[in-house]
Amino acid sequence: MDKKNTYLNEREKLLTPLLAIEEASRCLLCHDAPCSKACPSATDPAKFIRSLRFRNIKGAAETIRENNVLGGICARVCPTSKYCEDACSRCGIDKPIEIRKLQRYLTAYEKATGMTVLEPVEAVKEKIAIIGSGPSGLSAAASLVRDGYKVTVFEQKNKLGGWLSYGIPTERLPQSVIDDEIRYIKDLGVEFKTNCKIGQNINIDDLKQQGFKAILIAVGMQNSKMINIKGMELNGVLKGTEYLSEAKSTDGDIDIGEHVIVIGGGDVAIDCAVTTKLLGCEDVKIVYRRTIDKMPADIEEIKHLQSLNIPIYTGFKPEEIIGKDGSVNRFKAVGMFDDASLELVADRIIFAIGQEADPIKNIADVDVNDKQIISICDYQTNIEGVFAAGDIVEGDKTVVYAVKHGKDAAIEIANYLNEMANVKGDR
Amino acid sequence: MKTKDLSINFCGVKCENPFFLSSSPVGACYEMCAKALETGWGGIVFKTIGFYIPNEVSPRFDNTTKEATSFIGFKNMEQISTHSLEENLEALRKLKQNYPNKVLIASIMGENEEEWTKLAQLVTEAGADIIECNFSCPQMTSHEMGSDVGQNPALVKKYCEAVKRGTKLPVLAKMTPNIGNMADPAVASIEGGADGISTINTIKSITAVDFDRCTALPVINGKSSVSGYSGKAVKPIALRFIHELANCSKLKGVSISGIGGIETWEDCIEFIMLGSSNLQVTTAIMQYGYRIVEDMISGVSHFMEEKGFDKLEDMVGIAVKNIIPAEDLDRDYVVYPKFDDEKCVGCGRCYISCFDGGHQAIKWNEEDRRPELIKENCVGCHLCGHVCPVQCITKGEIEFKENAKERAVVI
Repeated sequence: MDKKNTYLNEREKLLTPLLAIEEASRCLLCHDAPCSKACPSATDPAKFIRSLRFRNIKGAAETIRENNVLGGICARVCPTSKYCEDACSRCGIDKPIEIRKLQRYLTAYEKATGMTVLEPVEAVKEKIAIIGSGPSGLSAAASLVRDGYKVTVFEQKNKLGGWLSYGIPTERLPQSVIDDEIRYIKDLGVEFKTNCKIGQNINIDDLKQQGFKAILIAVGMQNSKMINIKGMELNGVLKGTEYLSEAKSTDGDIDIGEHVIVIGGGDVAIDCAVTTKLLGCEDVKIVYRRTIDKMPADIEEIKHLQSLNIPIYTGFKPEEIIGKDGSVNRFKAVGMFDDASLELVADRIIFAIGQEADPIKNIADVDVNDKQIISICDYQTNIEGVFAAGDIVEGDKTVVYAVKHGKDAAIEIANYLNEMANVKGDR
Repeated sequence: MKTKDLSINFCGVKCENPFFLSSSPVGACYEMCAKALETGWGGIVFKTIGFYIPNEVSPRFDNTTKEATSFIGFKNMEQISTHSLEENLEALRKLKQNYPNKVLIASIMGENEEEWTKLAQLVTEAGADIIECNFSCPQMTSHEMGSDVGQNPALVKKYCEAVKRGTKLPVLAKMTPNIGNMADPAVASIEGGADGISTINTIKSITAVDFDRCTALPVINGKSSVSGYSGKAVKPIALRFIHELANCSKLKGVSISGIGGIETWEDCIEFIMLGSSNLQVTTAIMQYGYRIVEDMISGVSHFMEEKGFDKLEDMVGIAVKNIIPAEDLDRDYVVYPKFDDEKCVGCGRCYISCFDGGHQAIKWNEEDRRPELIKENCVGCHLCGHVCPVQCITKGEIEFKENAKERAVVI
């Protein structure tokens, strides 16, 4: 029970007011602050840290929220060591300002003091449908509803949030934080329809008939890629995304096994390994085909992994899974760079080597590339009035990038609808 | 961003907000003032102009630090503007022309009555909204000018009269804190026709001594001079003088522009609550730039929203009546400190300070690493709470002294 609690409790402690002001005092208050230039979703850390430094805490919280309706979520999952904190001028002295932690402090302050930064506006403009309630769909929905559009979000699952609710482990992103920010978006006037799979229950043409003047596809990538080696059919071979979904939606009440190997080097792989360990499995290992510096995962997450005593075997690619009575029993890998071989005891093999989209053609006949990524130009697909954003189009697969996509797509949708209105007006 | 209407009437002039640059290096030319106004300052006091053109030293600043914090206080040796009178008047004209809705205060300094009158005429013609008489710069090389004047009520009165002969604009007298009783020259200035008071100017100071050159900082060819001190360190002194003026019966209804260590919106509220209806800033701008006004505007707006104030005016002076002579304070009770053992990190700083600087009223429990109150020794001074690094010492039990009647008190 105790072990499970570590999975269910948020790992990082909230800064106290004293620590927050101390951290803000380390800020050099740069002239053309590099941190603010480095955020994909246009967060302005320089401004909110300066406000905090000058004791305008409410103003600081306002700066975050006005730019990003998912500010509390980003404050927990953004790989800031790649963005704002990497750019921080303070790196020239010692270490960057802990911007992500300050953002978390400020969003917590905003909630604790009951501030309402974003107020609903009257919905007087066209109806817009958004397919998918992950971070890109949510941020687009918030931007559009604040611009006066009538926005409906369709979600195929029971819970809203997409990968936020069905992927990122609770110890990094508690469900309550996701629920709070989604409630915020609801309060702004966005309508949500859950358990509604577009392409199955209804399709894009139905939506158009229902009067939706623009449609945004933001369905993300849910499916773990798999490889073709011997033994993939055995019990105990798992898909990383499904594994994390199950863990999160059952509050960690899953069968974890005793000897678990995770294949992959991205955030999903790390999350699978950490989740398993925190749920009480003693023997968890990561096998990755390249070197540690090539791992796409956030460096902070890799450090966390190591602090949990989870070894990483690098330079090996899976060769074979050996079974016993239909279940995984051993795992074999061969060297990528030499003829080394590795054989490990295992009863679970979790694959987290990247994701792919569900077949998109069920939703709409949009042009896709060979990786099933939707081709877009200014977020528009080849179909009139149909847009796409988030992991399903080209770009970094991070929450902050999804937020950027959602915001940018919202602007393009508004431009498109304005043009349509003008064309009509000209007639 | 939530912003309230922060407009306020000052000396009969409507200001978009009370945040102004003070007459100093931060408002020395058109470009600087224009940038400040664009950033959101409600107005500026242009750097003091006069017929006198100073010859300045290099370097001319020093700053006081404590641990890792710089600029706790700031020493400045600059005098009035080094630009020509014509140049400065042209800058004033252009500022008023391009920023007609902002408030332009011209700071002037003369060496004799004729100069004061003439300067008042010139800046009035240039378009100033208000004139500020600088009676208080402590580092003038001419003793006919600056704080030597401000310490002499008769001279202050005479020069105010001279200024009034040259203008119909509202006139501010800027007071020096290098004096025991500021009310005397302030009252003299009002008798001489001034409409309001600005204070404080800088405090005469020596910030540090250079051990090798055996002189103060900054070192100018092996020597240094006493000159004006400003910044956060002087704020308590400024607030005290503002209160003195706001509380003075002979100065009832006189507008006060508060100056001295203002950096955050909280500082602004403090000056306002003690009677200022206008605020001037220099040192924080020198350290951080004009942009600090953004958080003043936002912070004061949020504060007003939270506390239910609709107008800034409603806050002016509301704390004045609650600062009373020491002999009138309620001395009937002791508030004991309360230790939060959960929050306490066990450093023992409260114990050290209580023993060495207090009343030996804390016992240090070495085993638990926690303080324990020895109530019979405690006088309720709360030094312990001031030194606690985690703010885990708060105000606890209130006990009334012998013969004192128990009642509700505001602590």
